[in-house]
Amino acid sequence: MSRTKLLLIAFAALLGIAFAQQGRVELAVDQAPVGLDPHIVTAFSSFAVIGQVYDGLLEANADLGLDPALATSWTVSPDGLTYVFQLRDGVKFHNGRLMTADDVVYSYDRIMNPDTGSPQASRFTEVDSVVASGPLEVTFTLKVAFAPFLANLTNLTVVPQEVVEANGGSLQQVAVGTGPFMLKEIVPDTYVLLVANPDYYRPGEPKVAELRYNVVPEASTRAAGMRNGTYHLIPDVDPATAETLKGARGVTLMGVQDLAYTLLGFNVSRAPFNDPLVREAINYAIDREELIDAVYFGNAVEGGPLSPGLVQWATPVSNFPCYASNPDKARELLAKAGYPNGFDAGLLTFGTIQVVSDAAQVLQAQLAEVGVRLAINVAEFGAFVQAWRNSDFDTFVSLNGGATDPDGYLYRTFVTGGSTNVYKFSDPAVDELLQLGRTTTDRTERVNIYDHLQKRLACNGPIAHVAYGTLFSAVSDQVTGFKQLPTRGLRYLREVELH
Amino acid sequence: MFQYLVRRLLDLVVVLFGVSLLVFAMVRFIPGDAVAIMLGANTDITPDRVEALRRQIGLDLPVYEQYWNWLKAALRGDLGTSIWTGTPVLQEITARLPATFEITFLALVLAIVLSFPLGVLAARARGTSGDVLVRVLTIIGLTLPSFWVGVLFLYFFSLYLPWWPAIGYVPFTTDPLGNLARVALPTVAVSLPMVAGLTRILRSGLLEVLSSDYVRTARAKGVGERGLFYKHALRNAMIPVITVVGVQLGYLLSGVVVIEQVFAIPGIGRLMLGAINERNYPLLQGVVLIVTAVFVVVNLLVDLAYAWIDPRVEYS
Repeated sequence: MSRTKLLLIAFAALLGIAFAQQGRVELAVDQAPVGLDPHIVTAFSSFAVIGQVYDGLLEANADLGLDPALATSWTVSPDGLTYVFQLRDGVKFHNGRLMTADDVVYSYDRIMNPDTGSPQASRFTEVDSVVASGPLEVTFTLKVAFAPFLANLTNLTVVPQEVVEANGGSLQQVAVGTGPFMLKEIVPDTYVLLVANPDYYRPGEPKVAELRYNVVPEASTRAAGMRNGTYHLIPDVDPATAETLKGARGVTLMGVQDLAYTLLGFNVSRAPFNDPLVREAINYAIDREELIDAVYFGNAVEGGPLSPGLVQWATPVSNFPCYASNPDKARELLAKAGYPNGFDAGLLTFGTIQVVSDAAQVLQAQLAEVGVRLAINVAEFGAFVQAWRNSDFDTFVSLNGGATDPDGYLYRTFVTGGSTNVYKFSDPAVDELLQLGRTTTDRTERVNIYDHLQKRLACNGPIAHVAYGTLFSAVSDQVTGFKQLPTRGLRYLREVELH
Repeated sequence: MFQYLVRRLLDLVVVLFGVSLLVFAMVRFIPGDAVAIMLGANTDITPDRVEALRRQIGLDLPVYEQYWNWLKAALRGDLGTSIWTGTPVLQEITARLPATFEITFLALVLAIVLSFPLGVLAARARGTSGDVLVRVLTIIGLTLPSFWVGVLFLYFFSLYLPWWPAIGYVPFTTDPLGNLARVALPTVAVSLPMVAGLTRILRSGLLEVLSSDYVRTARAKGVGERGLFYKHALRNAMIPVITVVGVQLGYLLSGVVVIEQVFAIPGIGRLMLGAINERNYPLLQGVVLIVTAVFVVVNLLVDLAYAWIDPRVEYS
């Protein structure tokens, strides 16, 4: 073979590699990332970006099951106290260094260190110790058997120690992970540009060369940009904008059952909401079907304490008698509770999410019919959060996020003194079931426990679960391979192709 | 004159100090701090972690101590760092200034270029159908909110001229044509009410001057209509115009929040709005300070312009 021919072949091979990842996918997002440190941030706008840069040991898939990520396999001891993870071999950080078990231990320690101020530390309180039992093996020892442990590991993002130290202990402005994309450029309030990681450990991924997150605060502007082809993908489209994008040429609207839900929460330390009869009456007074039509344009479903999206866990609403709207029954229960003429109370809410403020108005109207007269207070979001944290409300309407494991949402919300139990709810039977739910590892038994719990909480609990909306994404016909996750995660961006 | 300048600049320092104190106190009266906002209404976190986060960003100190630390640094020219990202506040602000400045100045130029001929035309042709047309148009221009005009532009361009890059911002230095194409729509939207306002003020100012005694005298001694109009009347009608331009300029430079939202422009207005929503105290403090300074300086320039236009005005 001549030298020229060889060169040509080499050149073609190079081209082949260079062309394997091509094109730039333009995303439209509503907010710029609020910091990049995976152990600190909580904003969705931050995770949308750093979710592509960093990996956890495991990751959630479209069916809400767990897939291996940096860990390839794991074993659990029979008592459920020891987990041994085998790590993927040959994984490189974006700075070229190989990832080892020490990095996992370092990352865990960094989350648990109070100086880091990581909100995620609350997820690992059941962990006793984490050690590198081999160069590519990590052993976690738990204090008690803890069923949601594996699901929580999706939050254990592995970061390189040397990068943390080179940046004065903060990762808010740099991002060096093991993920499919690398951070290239951030232009304030304009865009974030990621480029494909050539050393990514999954062969053939990512499939596009670049991802650009364009920061477009206005929903109607994002929609206009989607129509004229400026953007390929809007990961999160609100119901009203989704209606306007239905039938737009070249745009596909995707929908998945959201884990987040709108709710009417009660402060059970205040009368009359301390009376379970009153809470049950309010559930009967709510017409969920009507609310879903008015607020969500029909794009939502009724659900109990767990999202119907958690197919294996959610108890169908037909098991909750109070979900059949019945104003007469509501009045009867109110009279029984000593409020034959109803009562007045406050309703706290905020204005930044359309479905929330709309739901508040519909609920106000529906409850007024049985004599529950609610005065709506639309607070600025920060003021809302403050009042919410301090349980400074009679009732409130909000949108709460769910979790992939039932314990992730139910425990902190309903256990006595739980970190988001702002309702001041306390029920020994509920506490016991919650405890049982997290320490039982047998799947069927757990489903049974949570079924009991949902039935107990649905009608008399501190929350009237109102509706679970559809999570919409708008995708250009030029883009294939995108899948939505009920968690709003964007892991499938690495499988997206541009045509 | 020099003394006047020095005194005005000293005033600026006092104003900045007062504003910084006021803003510092005010933002801390709003319920909810950066940690509460970040955690939102649904995050699983134990109270000791909340405290750790507060400590990390210095919110655990007493307010007066926070202010003192801030003031000491600010006097050295250090406006602190943005709470979560850790970016220097000054850097955050300078990144947003070009877009805001560009749109402001283009809108102002457009407003002047359009309103002068319109105002002069309406004044000279007072009572004719041309005058009525201009007056009706200016009423429309004043009434239409610029964000609504912006949204209409956006929809029109994305539906009928989809190749036109209507959304976002690129710096002029990277892509001059792309920059101009993108700022064109927000500039027009912002300047429409200004065109209308200036036209009306110019028209009424001219009419007032034209009916004054010295104009009658000039006319009596035989000054031609053109000379009378452009040399004598227009100059005197400028004073209220300059005042309005000054005020408008100040507002525009402090950021055209809604227009920036609609067109996804990375400007000062959005930066400030974001800082309020996130309770990003140092950032908010910095932005307000810079915006105040710009406002005061523009006012000073307006006052100086009076003397240039009207030699009778003196500064002492």
